[in-house]
Amino acid sequence: MKSISAYNPIVICIYYLSAAGILMFSQNPILLLFGAIGAIAHFLLRNGQKNARSHLYFFLIFIVLGLVNPLVSHNGKTVLFVINDAPITLEATVYGFVSAGILVTVFYLFRTFTDIMTRDKLLYVFGRFSPKVALVLSMGLRYVPLFRERAKKITETQKALGLYKDDNIFDKLRCDLRVFSILITWALENGITTADSMEARAYGTGKRTYYSRFRFGTSDILLLCVIILCTGMTALGLAWGALDFAFYPMLTFTESTPLGIASYLSYGILMMIPIFAETGEKLKWQYLRSKI
Amino acid sequence: MAILTVKDLTFTYPLCEESAVKNVSFSIEEGAFTVLCGATGSGKSTLLRLLKRQITPRGTENGEIFLKNEAIETVSAARIGFVMQRPDEQLVTDKVYSELAFGLENLGLPQNVIARRVAEMASYFGIEDWFERDVSTLSGGQKQLLNLASVMVMDPDILILDEPTSQLDPIATSDFLGTLKKLNRDLSLTVLIAEHRLEELIPMCDRLLIMENGALLKNGAPRDVIGTLSADDSLLPAMPTAARLYHALSGKGVCPLTLREGRNFLENNFRNDIRQIPPQEDIHKKEKALEFQNVCFRYEKELPDVLHETNLTVYENEIFCILGGNGSGKTTALSCAAGIRKIYGGQIRVFGKKLKAYTGQSLYQNCLALLPQDVQSVFLRNTVREELEDASVAEQELPFSLSHLYERHPYDLSGGEQQLLALAKTLAAKPKLLLMDEPTKGLDAKKKLALLNVIRDLKAKGLTLLIVTHDVEFAALCADRCALFFRGDIVSVGTPRGFFSENRFYTTAAFRMSKGFFDHAVTVEDITELCRLNGRKES
Repeated sequence: MKSISAYNPIVICIYYLSAAGILMFSQNPILLLFGAIGAIAHFLLRNGQKNARSHLYFFLIFIVLGLVNPLVSHNGKTVLFVINDAPITLEATVYGFVSAGILVTVFYLFRTFTDIMTRDKLLYVFGRFSPKVALVLSMGLRYVPLFRERAKKITETQKALGLYKDDNIFDKLRCDLRVFSILITWALENGITTADSMEARAYGTGKRTYYSRFRFGTSDILLLCVIILCTGMTALGLAWGALDFAFYPMLTFTESTPLGIASYLSYGILMMIPIFAETGEKLKWQYLRSKI
Repeated sequence: MAILTVKDLTFTYPLCEESAVKNVSFSIEEGAFTVLCGATGSGKSTLLRLLKRQITPRGTENGEIFLKNEAIETVSAARIGFVMQRPDEQLVTDKVYSELAFGLENLGLPQNVIARRVAEMASYFGIEDWFERDVSTLSGGQKQLLNLASVMVMDPDILILDEPTSQLDPIATSDFLGTLKKLNRDLSLTVLIAEHRLEELIPMCDRLLIMENGALLKNGAPRDVIGTLSADDSLLPAMPTAARLYHALSGKGVCPLTLREGRNFLENNFRNDIRQIPPQEDIHKKEKALEFQNVCFRYEKELPDVLHETNLTVYENEIFCILGGNGSGKTTALSCAAGIRKIYGGQIRVFGKKLKAYTGQSLYQNCLALLPQDVQSVFLRNTVREELEDASVAEQELPFSLSHLYERHPYDLSGGEQQLLALAKTLAAKPKLLLMDEPTKGLDAKKKLALLNVIRDLKAKGLTLLIVTHDVEFAALCADRCALFFRGDIVSVGTPRGFFSENRFYTTAAFRMSKGFFDHAVTVEDITELCRLNGRKES
């Protein structure tokens, strides 16, 4: 199996939507456990020892949000202790930490997602829906560095001419404003060249297609099938109430049914996919290298 | 078979009395490499744009144009490729591969066809290595090559180029023209190109068209066309060195075009009893205008030094030219001297005073000014008049006049006019030391000579000039001393005759042509003088 980032961007999108979606629509500690293990393990596999600060922030968010709920909500039967005549219950505490856990797990998923989905992959996904939107985005992305570079150049030139003063904030503002105004003129002026260049290359003569370097291969179809199967199974369990979990008045799991167990397993598999993919690729390389 | 036929074409811009293109007729054979030249404003661009309907300007038009017997109006955009001057502004998208695919996407071709053609072009043009890069990270030369590739990917019948190399340095230019020649030879692609710099282009073309004031003046094989120019023709300075020499010596017979032919022309016609043109003496004042002592600079902590223990001295009232390849740190050295970038080691002194000792704006008042490479970045206002008033330019003190341009927008001026306006603005602060970055970029030969005179006038007024340039021919004409920059340091310094005759590659065409026949002759003028002194061979 190859690393998850090597799959077709649409497959990656669907994967992350499913993984995060199920987690957000359920309030189930077991699903959360699978989700958290999968998401954090994948993040660690990709980034290694780095990002200690992110881990700390996420942990702090988890603790703070987890503790807020039992302080404001006093539902639940099992009283742990009493602060200022307010009972702190086990149920409210668990509810708080499960909710916080879901949030933090989604954060982790999102971090790896943005890491994997580079700009051109996102554009590809947009391009599938509308070639026009993709073109506009791509042109926008082209203009940002162009503008930044230009603004810097003009400011530097004006400085060396002794015309740009930044002695005090008003002078600086006045000079910035003038640079900005000429920047607009410049952009419009260049827009004409760009438009000519577009028309010279047959823009607007018919329906556009969209080219990308991503293919939809057999492995993509395979992975997509697994994702849909797992997600479908879990969703079925959710819909039938097999995965219901009650926090109040007491923490209670629904009686385990075959459907429930299958659903839990499916989500477990879904969350393990990136880890399998990542370690599988590493192992394959090591194996191949030992043969050389 | 003629691929492109133009019959009695006349074109007038709206609200203009005079026609921009007057009664032009010519035809181009399939697979021919045609060069169109003429001074700025002679109607070259207008003519080329008339051949490409999608970008034809508005105006009244008479005459007929055919592409392969088909009226030009009905020809689809894909069949005529068009590459323009500015590399940056022609790029539409953010990634190299999406730029390549852009034209094909517009044609609505299916993904697999696009993929194949893009791959083919990318490997033909050698851009596989930067296939997935952002276009903003490419160099000017790479950008222009990408523009060419993304036009070629549409498989045009004819390729039209409007001064494609004017914004490129000489090495990138050679690269680009080499690719063009390869396309012409390998794919028998018909090429029509308008250019200023003809040294390399003329020997590779089959046909030369010359325009003047909107009319097609000459049309024929390059040797015949150049041979029949008069010795004082305004286009002559743009021609290859060998051809200029031929005219300067009022040569007879076949006009030489390449260096090799020029050398033969010299050897066959002239004696070389007097070989030596006296080398210039290195006379300069004692006072130093600018001094670099062990200057170190890098852009970021992790990056290597751009300037590494650089030492450089420019004396007062001299014209000092710095030459060197791309990325050798020339431009960086200028911006360090102008105080835009802060050095981390060594010392820069301007007129004997440390750069740090100039506080506030004092460095830029009556002391030092920098004319950047991209002169458009000098302009902030909507008319030339406002621009001049803004900087309180004392116009009567300028060595040139701008009064005929007052009401124009700075962006609408031609390259040469923009250069002069920017220079006027730069001179307003009455600098004693003027730093110029690539002042000849994008100028035609005539404008270059005009700039040369301006620079000499400024020297006569007592200014010190430090010029960074790629243009060896220009440096040989204007410099008092030249220096070669390599990897952030000066490797050799000398007067032009001494400096260029020490070099083998980084030298002028005139020197390469006369090397071994004459000594120290680095300009056409030098060779002409020696030839006059020696006299013709008796035959």
